[in-house]
Amino acid sequence: MPPIIRTHDLRKTFRSPKRRPGVGGALRTLFSREIEEKVAVRDVTMELEPGELVGYIGPNGAGKSTTIKMLTGILVPTAGTIEVAGLVPYERRNENARNIGVVFGQRSQLYWDLPLVESFELLRAIYSIPKDRYRENLQRFIEMLEMEPFLRTPVRQLSLGQRMRGDFAAAMLHNPRIVYLDEPTIGLDVVAKEAIREFVRHINQDRGTTIILTTHDLADVERLSRRIILIDKGTVIYDGTVDHIKEQYGTHRTLVLTLTEPHANPALEGAEIESNDRGLVRYRFDRRRVRPDQLIREATEQYELRDVSIEEPDLESIIRRIYVEGYEQEPVNT
Amino acid sequence: MTLEPYVEFAKKAFAREATYRLEVFTEIGSLIVRVYLLRSVWTALYAQNIAPMNLPLHSMITYATVALLMSLILEVDGTRLIREKLREGTIATDLMKPISVPFYFFSDGFGQTGLHALLVIPCILFALLLVHIDVPSPAVFGMFLLSFAIGYLLNFFVNFVMNAIAFWTLETFAIQLIVRWVSDLLSGQIIPLTFFPGIFGRIVFALPFAAIYSTPLLIYVGVIAPQDYGRMLLVQILWLGLFSTLSLFMWRAAARRVVIQGG
Repeated sequence: MPPIIRTHDLRKTFRSPKRRPGVGGALRTLFSREIEEKVAVRDVTMELEPGELVGYIGPNGAGKSTTIKMLTGILVPTAGTIEVAGLVPYERRNENARNIGVVFGQRSQLYWDLPLVESFELLRAIYSIPKDRYRENLQRFIEMLEMEPFLRTPVRQLSLGQRMRGDFAAAMLHNPRIVYLDEPTIGLDVVAKEAIREFVRHINQDRGTTIILTTHDLADVERLSRRIILIDKGTVIYDGTVDHIKEQYGTHRTLVLTLTEPHANPALEGAEIESNDRGLVRYRFDRRRVRPDQLIREATEQYELRDVSIEEPDLESIIRRIYVEGYEQEPVNT
Repeated sequence: MTLEPYVEFAKKAFAREATYRLEVFTEIGSLIVRVYLLRSVWTALYAQNIAPMNLPLHSMITYATVALLMSLILEVDGTRLIREKLREGTIATDLMKPISVPFYFFSDGFGQTGLHALLVIPCILFALLLVHIDVPSPAVFGMFLLSFAIGYLLNFFVNFVMNAIAFWTLETFAIQLIVRWVSDLLSGQIIPLTFFPGIFGRIVFALPFAAIYSTPLLIYVGVIAPQDYGRMLLVQILWLGLFSTLSLFMWRAAARRVVIQGG
């Protein structure tokens, strides 16, 4: 199957008048015509297969939202090519709009003054969704997202979690082939996050919808997607599987021992003590040099243990490290 | 293009306006007060001065009352949604939908107006308790409605242009306030434009504001004679053409700015 989303050397440059600080600066800004150029997205090339769920990850201002806006067709690229389901989004905004669904965590597409269900009815009219399919989808979504109790409540009175669930349903009612989720779980509590992840999984796996998920919450990505694209300062720095990046960077593990008696220096060969707090000792070790069972055996021989556990590095700490150090094919282990 | 979404937009805007019940009732209340005040003012003024020959007191009170009823519909700014959406940045989500955004604004404005148009009925009933309104022949009344409809559309586009300025300035309050003051005075909403003397009179008749209130009102009270209907409606239509074209251009420019600069 050909890719459903394809970009090649996609670039977006914003031009804005150069601003100077202070009152005098503000006056000079008013009269000077100095233009500042900022490259928000720099030569991004990516391809997505139909049915893929890709995590699109980067710090604030990395260019994630700008990329999404170009994919929806509301922003025209400065250079490069872009194609979504065979269409160039900015040239065929209306047709493209029928293929896509969008959820922004920070802003709602629901109609503020109307009861939630009336926003859904409005969307049925906007996308000309056949009545029976609309009813079927709505019923399904109401059950999955537990929207029954607040279906008749005006959107402005909904809690953030309720509103987000409404927004998810709204984005999927017309069975879009592609869905863009921009920070969808921001500010939600654990329960709401879980409900939404479950819903995204359903949309992706049972309906085969292609999904691009941008998020700060890497737990979303770890739970949902196999592939991630890392972007920093407008440039793609990694495109591959979550497992691969973990394999590559996650060479270190943490061994946590709880000793029955506090010990001043409970050394173990091949591991380095990270912290030692009244008998709770954390060791860092390289799993390529020493096997965990060796360490544990050594520990049981030397000390009396109440508890043992091994922690894997999470995606978040790996990615934090990549942003600080830059991505390298063969990272140097420290 | 299917009309269904736009009918729905209008219906939802109607429902939304209806939720502001207090506003609806104060609107009726304040209108009744203004009808009474204007009757008193014009009666006092006419008692002190010689009545203009084509506008006797009963015609003047009819003019003032009908103007107030018209304002129920014309003072609804159906395009303020544009300004709000720009400030909150929600225009982007509208552009991501398979709809014509300007036509969406129009339907929404039309729905809002629809609710306020309904208020005209109780207002007429209350107004009739306070004042006597002349009723023209069906032919004249029909012509009044036609002229009013054109004036309504013109008013929409004038508002559209003003609110679209928000694309560049993000703030249009001052501009709107000035235009509002000028148009209140020069549209014939309060003072019939026939009262303006000489060259000043000719200038105000040549402005677009006259095509919003003055033309339908002067048709209603019979100051514009049937042989002049064609000419007056043509002037209205020309203004409508001009402002709708201007709106279209401003929308295009604004939309281009959104897609180039990200709104």
